[in-house]
Amino acid sequence: MQNLGDFKLPQFFNYPPYFTLQPVRETRDKQVQLWKEMILDYCRTQKIYVIGLEEDFPLFTNHVIERSLSHEARQAFLSALVSDGRAEWMDKSHRKCLILWHGVQDWADLILHFVKENGLEDSVMTVEEIRTGTESRGTELHGMDRTLLMRALKLLERKGKLVIFKGNFGRR
Amino acid sequence: MRRRPGIGGLQNAAAARDQFRALGDNVAKLRTDLMKEQLSTFRSQLEDFARKHKNDIRKNPAFRSQFHEMCAKVGVDPLASNKGFWAELLGIGDFYYELGVQIVDICLATRPLNGGLINLEELCKLLRQRRKTAREAVSEDDCLRAISKLKVLGSGFEVISVGKRKLVRSVPTELNKDHNEILELAQVQGFVTVEEVERRLTWSSGRAIDALDSLLDEGLAMIDDGHRDGKRRYWFPCVSSISSFVGTDTL
Repeated sequence: MQNLGDFKLPQFFNYPPYFTLQPVRETRDKQVQLWKEMILDYCRTQKIYVIGLEEDFPLFTNHVIERSLSHEARQAFLSALVSDGRAEWMDKSHRKCLILWHGVQDWADLILHFVKENGLEDSVMTVEEIRTGTESRGTELHGMDRTLLMRALKLLERKGKLVIFKGNFGRR
Repeated sequence: MRRRPGIGGLQNAAAARDQFRALGDNVAKLRTDLMKEQLSTFRSQLEDFARKHKNDIRKNPAFRSQFHEMCAKVGVDPLASNKGFWAELLGIGDFYYELGVQIVDICLATRPLNGGLINLEELCKLLRQRRKTAREAVSEDDCLRAISKLKVLGSGFEVISVGKRKLVRSVPTELNKDHNEILELAQVQGFVTVEEVERRLTWSSGRAIDALDSLLDEGLAMIDDGHRDGKRRYWFPCVSSISSFVGTDTL
């Protein structure tokens, strides 16, 4: 079985027809399902937040069997993730896709948990500190996508759990 | 015997016939008795044999298959009933029922991927992976026996031969001759193209496309437009040598 870095590729990845969108409904459903699972798994383990449809995303091409997903197929698989609530289009033309292996709510919970664990209630932190600071090292928040982090923070702000300052960001 | 006229002659002839019949009956009875005796000796020998080699029968698939063959020849079916001497002695009925249940499970789990048609080899492989913990080895012969027992369920479990391979069908789809020929052709590389079907089987293109389309509809085929030559390939998961392309943990 092939590996991609430390990611163990599923066997269907080596079966050429899985790189062509299947015309028959049932077969296609199964195909989409397998791709969705693989994309989520891969992004979760490799900490990938954004997939660009026109970029060289490692899963979209299998050099061993010389197959690569068409633009249509890429869009189909990611759209399926979007309708599951596991991804969001970042632009109207569907060129970039934010992958949510944790939903925004889950990320928000992770932030609250992180703050409590580190006794940071009632303190001020910058967004960059959360993403790259020493406190977050070793947690899932470390190296988190900025857009996604902002989304989670805004969700918390709406719930009155923190306040975002202009220029400087704070939390309570 | 010279025929003599008169009632005496007729009576004599009748008496002689009766005697012949009695003698004939006697001989036949003797023979049947002898046969019965031989058979019962054989059966008891077979039982002794089974008792003696119980462990071999359980653990060694080749031995088991030979034992089955021997039983079939004397008209004993160790699988006919779960009750009775054979089952108690060998526990063999349970073994095949268990296999049967696992086979059904595997067929159902892989159906979305292969359209309900699975290579016997592949099925055995998955079965072995699943039974890792069980001590008894499982042979293809065992699979076939277990499947033949599944037929009574009427759920359309059947073994079909396509070319050199055996495929296990778990959906009631009827494969016609055209489909079979395509599957046979596909065994070489795992896929076919329309062109190849036309050329190798000397079919009209309509016939080839028709057959391929219906295989697609049944979920037995998948298309692949990704090859450099730009020709559409039809892949058949049921004959592909790519083994279980689903993680075994999902089964």
